[in-house]
Amino acid sequence: MKPLLHIALKSAWNRRLTLGLTLLAITLAVTLLLSVERVRQAARDGFAQSVSGTDLIVGARSNPLQLVLYAVFHVGEASNNVDWKSYQAIAADPAVAWSIPLALGDSHQGFPVLGTTPAYFEHYRYGDRQPLVFAAGQPFSGLFDAVLGAEVATKLGYKLGERITLSHGSGQLPGQAHADKPFTVVGILAPTGTPVDRRVHISLTAIEAIHLDWQGGTPIPGLAIPADVVSKFDLQPKTITAFLLGLHQRSAVFRLQRKIADYRTEPLLAVLPGVALDQLWQTVGVVEKALLGISWLVFAVGLAGLAAVMLASLNERRRELAVLRSVGAGPRHILFLLVLESLLVTLLGVLLSLAVVTCAAWLGGPWLAAQFGLSTLPLAVSLGELRLLAGIFAAALLVSLWPAWRAYRLSLADGLIPRL
Amino acid sequence: MQSPAIAITNLTFRWRPAEAFCLELANVTVDAGKSLFLHGPSGSGKSTLLNLIGGVLLPARGSVSLLGQPLGELSASRRDAFRADHLGFIFQQFNLIPYLSVLDNVLLPCRFSARRASRVSEPEAEARRLLAGLDLDPALLGRPAAELSVGQQQRVAAARALIGQPEILIADEPTSALDAERQATFVELLLSEAKRAGSAVVFVSHDLRLATHFDHSLALST
Repeated sequence: MKPLLHIALKSAWNRRLTLGLTLLAITLAVTLLLSVERVRQAARDGFAQSVSGTDLIVGARSNPLQLVLYAVFHVGEASNNVDWKSYQAIAADPAVAWSIPLALGDSHQGFPVLGTTPAYFEHYRYGDRQPLVFAAGQPFSGLFDAVLGAEVATKLGYKLGERITLSHGSGQLPGQAHADKPFTVVGILAPTGTPVDRRVHISLTAIEAIHLDWQGGTPIPGLAIPADVVSKFDLQPKTITAFLLGLHQRSAVFRLQRKIADYRTEPLLAVLPGVALDQLWQTVGVVEKALLGISWLVFAVGLAGLAAVMLASLNERRRELAVLRSVGAGPRHILFLLVLESLLVTLLGVLLSLAVVTCAAWLGGPWLAAQFGLSTLPLAVSLGELRLLAGIFAAALLVSLWPAWRAYRLSLADGLIPRL
Repeated sequence: MQSPAIAITNLTFRWRPAEAFCLELANVTVDAGKSLFLHGPSGSGKSTLLNLIGGVLLPARGSVSLLGQPLGELSASRRDAFRADHLGFIFQQFNLIPYLSVLDNVLLPCRFSARRASRVSEPEAEARRLLAGLDLDPALLGRPAAELSVGQQQRVAAARALIGQPEILIADEPTSALDAERQATFVELLLSEAKRAGSAVVFVSHDLRLATHFDHSLALST
């Protein structure tokens, strides 16, 4: 079969224009398939690592997915708050290494406001256990200091020193602004591609301070406490929305989870973020499957083009095939020759698209990671991709058998002298 | 005694069982190294006979034996290998693979047959020698076959048929595309190279004037 490789290469080169266009179609189709596969994988990883390094997310007892949705993605609302005393009691457990309280409820221009403590900037991790990095400024220290996520800063065009006012709730209703107590931007975080980018971070005490003269979600009529006197009040938070726990040893996680579930004073729930995020992805992952399906369809179109070109070339190649038979090629050689040619085109297409995808990942990966929260795009071929590539070759082999079979029949009928 | 190069006995062939026989041959024998001129008008079954000798078709009755080996006893793929090892073909036209160079075209049989490859110690030198013997300009060796004139192409085809000294050379109207003067020259060159390679020759043509060059002559009837 070795002589056939040489002949197949020369023959293919002789028809390089039509085969070149077919190669282009195959390359684009495989590139699409590979890109969708890689982005899908990266999106999944990025999503699963929206928060990492956290062992437990704790909130009022509810559906675990609901807890993750509001605590991490700020979608929906907590059914109940967590008492500050409960938080302190659990955070004091000897197994707990660090804790980050989260207080939600306010917003700024549609971006969620997160009340927390400086521990957030120290212990919060995302992606591959990456810490938060400041693009400018530093963590909040004063009462009315705010730290912005990257997207908040770019979308609203804020710089350090900017004065901003927060709104109560989602900020939809008029007259719900905390206009009397403006905040100063003291820090801006670098992009993470996670919900962090959309957060406005202030201290827990600031959350207390802006709500001193509020009750039941509206300002108390006739009561206005100016910003300069709030420090005279007790700013110890009474409740928070949820909190994150990091443990000294991961092995303690189930024991602590049970302990929190059995907490007597109020009904609480602790979830392992990885498990919950995976569950969440199952529900939003339909889109990726649809994308992959469409990519396979595009690949099928590419293969149909290849088969059409091979079939169309057979008539002009009948003499060539007869000559090959006269020097000793059997019909099975002819079959092999055509299959080989199709597979060569496919192989070249796959190699080209691997090059394209790898270059794209190398050049555009960091940008994609920052913009869309994709975890870093892989440069090497993964096991899943190998399976994908095997599928591509199997499909190409099946399709190439069609023109090859026709050539086989033709060369049997023509013998040494083609009847044209 | 050495087996004849070609021995055809009581051969009949038809395309489909219901059809009339399109070829009947009682006895044809070509001894090793001898040449036979086969004369027949078109439609006399020449192409069919060539396919039968090439082992691409099998007769309805009778047998074709090459070098003492009845082709009917071999499997289809063994017949393909046998053809590669022992036979060289030259056709009327379109003998060459257009995108291969002259040299690659000549070397084709050596790629398909280890036996023929083993008979030439240096394939490229042998190809050059054959082409020179057939009076082809050596400068053309690297050119794609498609760029050659018809006369040049026929010489390349002859060199390809003869490389590796096959026992049998089959030529199917190889001169019909050439003008009269060059026909005789081509036949002379072909026969002398065949003699040198020790190949038996079957030469098919409708042009009776060429018959004088050959040891024997036979007319195919319709």
